[in-house]
Amino acid sequence: MTAVTGEAPLQGSGLLGQPLDAREDPQLLRGEAVYVGDINLPGTAHMAILGSPVAHAKILSIETKAAEQMPGVLKVATAADFTDVMPLPCIWIPGGVESHFPPHPYGLPGARPVLTGDAVRHVGDPIAVVVAETPRQAAAALAAIAVEYEPLPVVTRADAALAEGAPQLHEAVPGNLNAYWTCGDKDRTEAALAEAEVKVELDLVNQRTINSPIEPRGAVGDYNAATDEYTLYASTQGPHNHRFLLAALVLGIPFNKLRVIAPTVGGSFGTKGYLYPDMALVLLLSKALRRPVKWVDTRTGLMNSTVQGRDHRQHVVLAGTRDGRMTGLWATSYANLGAYPSTIGPGVATALMGRSISGMYDIPAAFCEVYAAFTNTVSLGAQRGSGRAEAAFLMERLVDRFAAEIGMDPAAVRRKNLVPNEKFPYDNGLGWTYDSGDYQVNFDKAMALSGYADMAARKAEARTRGKRLGVGIATYVAICGVGPSTRMSQEGMLGGTWESANIRVNPTGEVTVTVGSASTGQSHHTVFAQVAADELEIDPALVQVYEGDTLKAPYGQGTYGSRSYSMAAPAVALTARKIKAKLVKAGAVFLGVPEEKVVYAGGKVYEEGNEENAKTFADLAMAMWYGWGLPHEIEPALDETTHFDPPDFNYPFGTHVAVVEVDELTGETEVVAYTAVDDAGNIGNPKIVLGQIEGSITHGLGQALMEAAVYDEQGLLLSSDLTTYALPRAADVPFFTLGKTTTPTPHNALGAKGAGEIATVPPAAAVVNAVVDALSDLGVQHIDMPLTPEKVWRRLRGEAQ
Amino acid sequence: MDLSLNVNGRPEQFAAEPNELLVERLRDGLGLTGTKVGCDTGQCGTCVVQLDGRSVKSCLVLTASAAGSRVTTIEGVTTRGGELSGLQEALRQEHGTQCGFCTPGMVMALGELVENTADREAPTEPEIREWLTGNLCRCTGYHSVVRGVQRACSAARTEIPEEISGAAAVSAPGGPGPEPASVPASASASGQEV
Repeated sequence: MTAVTGEAPLQGSGLLGQPLDAREDPQLLRGEAVYVGDINLPGTAHMAILGSPVAHAKILSIETKAAEQMPGVLKVATAADFTDVMPLPCIWIPGGVESHFPPHPYGLPGARPVLTGDAVRHVGDPIAVVVAETPRQAAAALAAIAVEYEPLPVVTRADAALAEGAPQLHEAVPGNLNAYWTCGDKDRTEAALAEAEVKVELDLVNQRTINSPIEPRGAVGDYNAATDEYTLYASTQGPHNHRFLLAALVLGIPFNKLRVIAPTVGGSFGTKGYLYPDMALVLLLSKALRRPVKWVDTRTGLMNSTVQGRDHRQHVVLAGTRDGRMTGLWATSYANLGAYPSTIGPGVATALMGRSISGMYDIPAAFCEVYAAFTNTVSLGAQRGSGRAEAAFLMERLVDRFAAEIGMDPAAVRRKNLVPNEKFPYDNGLGWTYDSGDYQVNFDKAMALSGYADMAARKAEARTRGKRLGVGIATYVAICGVGPSTRMSQEGMLGGTWESANIRVNPTGEVTVTVGSASTGQSHHTVFAQVAADELEIDPALVQVYEGDTLKAPYGQGTYGSRSYSMAAPAVALTARKIKAKLVKAGAVFLGVPEEKVVYAGGKVYEEGNEENAKTFADLAMAMWYGWGLPHEIEPALDETTHFDPPDFNYPFGTHVAVVEVDELTGETEVVAYTAVDDAGNIGNPKIVLGQIEGSITHGLGQALMEAAVYDEQGLLLSSDLTTYALPRAADVPFFTLGKTTTPTPHNALGAKGAGEIATVPPAAAVVNAVVDALSDLGVQHIDMPLTPEKVWRRLRGEAQ
Repeated sequence: MDLSLNVNGRPEQFAAEPNELLVERLRDGLGLTGTKVGCDTGQCGTCVVQLDGRSVKSCLVLTASAAGSRVTTIEGVTTRGGELSGLQEALRQEHGTQCGFCTPGMVMALGELVENTADREAPTEPEIREWLTGNLCRCTGYHSVVRGVQRACSAARTEIPEEISGAAAVSAPGGPGPEPASVPASASASGQEV
């Protein structure tokens, strides 16, 4: 079901769109892939980190002598050992770089030092490190470090942190306010709300969640004294980016003295793109000890140190007409940034959320304001679908509330307000310009696939079994393909956001592709080979892909925000086109015919109409390696690079429908059917994307039903391991019904939109809408996530929220 | 204390602390890093190995208590770079992996299911999901893994065990395998268009 056609036509051999098997899989299935925890360099020493046991306190003293005497201990270090090391930068400053002049090259005030020396600001805040011969010795010695604290009052909620008299986290940040950020037209929105026939309001808590990649983070630092070079092996989504941040902004060492290698990375979902103290510490300690230093986090360590996600408290208002037209949208949000500004967390909590709030709807007046505050919790960062999921949740809850208020079918209200096709490219009035879409077709397909028309009968049938059946719809637009570097600088991003690829044709006819991106499970080796082979019209078996090592790969920004296939893959395609163009030029020489008569097709070069006398790709590769007979203007060899900076973002979208059954007796919610129709433009490998969509939906269902980072009043994270933090398990989810529409983007050579995490955006809203639908006859208008059985059970008995 | 284990068919003798965990012996002592550590509390299942043929979480087993036992790790399922087992091949065809960190543990846990049910009707989808409850995956949402097990079980029932030892014959690597007979309608709808 194809809608608008993009400007960039698909070329190539037709390999794109084929569900090729992932070439990464055999070694993963045999347990042979090497993750950071599996790296054991000769002479490795092991690092353990002492995290604060309290959420807020002044540090009066740190006594390390006893720890230094413990068996196997090589070094104990505190903040005093690293006074010449700069704090970890925050490189996404809400409100734009212009508003922060002179710019903060090292990020926002309140930036986290590699070890804290003056005060601790959240449980887990790193205070000291031990390096020992074995991991057990290092961990044991932590207990011998004595820290004297002077307790300070604790605040864990963003709104509370902004109240008068609230505990203060950073001297440089009075009132704990990191940013007051707005987008949209305030006056028009106020007017729309004032004049509205109907107005509905909701107070929402988008609870804090923990991404929980199954591999905790890890880092190995290896300093080479002979060459004064550092190598960092780390579980990172962006090795080049981490190299830049560490070398230039933290360690103050020459860029070319640091090499960052991402081995196989065991999932990330946003968290491993951030810069953490341990990455700097293993390098500094390796230099100090002249030995490789390795650190691998524990699960509890991860929960108390790796960035967490979501965490908004919101008041949202929707205005409209009695006949179902939406006319105004207002969102006020208190975002909890945690104790320190993470690498890009403040941008996620503001722009990525705020500019997305109107979703697939054409709303004439919209406004969003975000108060981003520091609290005594773990730093906030990205989480699969970050920002966009928070936006979709508030919008889609509001649409249902509005539909209930005017007594209209929620599907009909949505249908009536979708951005019409003739309005693309569509300025949403909040800062995004949607590239392309056919929202009606997508929406109708989801309604049809889910059997939406038959829900009344299904509800009646469920009641005979003691179950309340509810149906919830959620639509979304997800900004992806981050992004145009200039546009991102206007959003406050300190740094470029382009992506690159290099293609080197080997003399024997094989092709080596290197990209600046780095996989955390997205089968890049398969997909990028597919792109290059498609474009060059050769067997993908001839193509080998490398990434993740800054010494070998061209510059790039990494994998985040579903950008690899719509940023790095176009860079691969454009580079392949450069190779082809060069082969046409050289082919003209080798064939002795004018260039305009030369055709590149099927991996061969020949004179138009004379295909029998073709030069094969292998012939040409060898000829270019020799370089014999080439005129001066054609350089020998085939080695091309592209740095791709798109003209604008891309905007995938979709419609999801959740059907739940709530057990009258237990309050348990079971997702009994889930339909998703997503549009990610042209898809390269549907087998890979299928897995990403299924995983993303499951992740979103987790937030709706069970996941929550729970802090007590003292700032202790109660859900600090996987016995206390619930993740969806296999029996918690059914098979899904999936469909797609295809609306290519005009913003890159493949017409590809982001896909990896987009399906995480709507499920939480769809499920909460479904449960509220199931309980609507009891007067329930909203339930905060997660929808635990107890919470739902209480609502079934008429208890208040 | 001096202990011995049979690991992947090889006798191993070593000295271990009384509080050493089996996963530490396998990873740090024997260099078998295919077995992973993901959660430290027995929740995630990345450390699953087979102890005398039964899948166990090796982060919950003291090396001392396993003394004298037969341990099979992921390294014992195939040779390095070698042909995949029937289950592994089925998971490959269904792309039941993404980051792969949970994968070795899943192969070890699911191997027991596939083997134990080989002589009866294929396990149902709820049975497979129930069996998978001890293994967490954050990437795939389990769907492709469940399909992989369905495919493996279906293939295991069409093979002739005398002729093909160990690995189930799904198809030659790279080729399309037979459609699993037991996939319910909802499963085939899943992903039909993506």
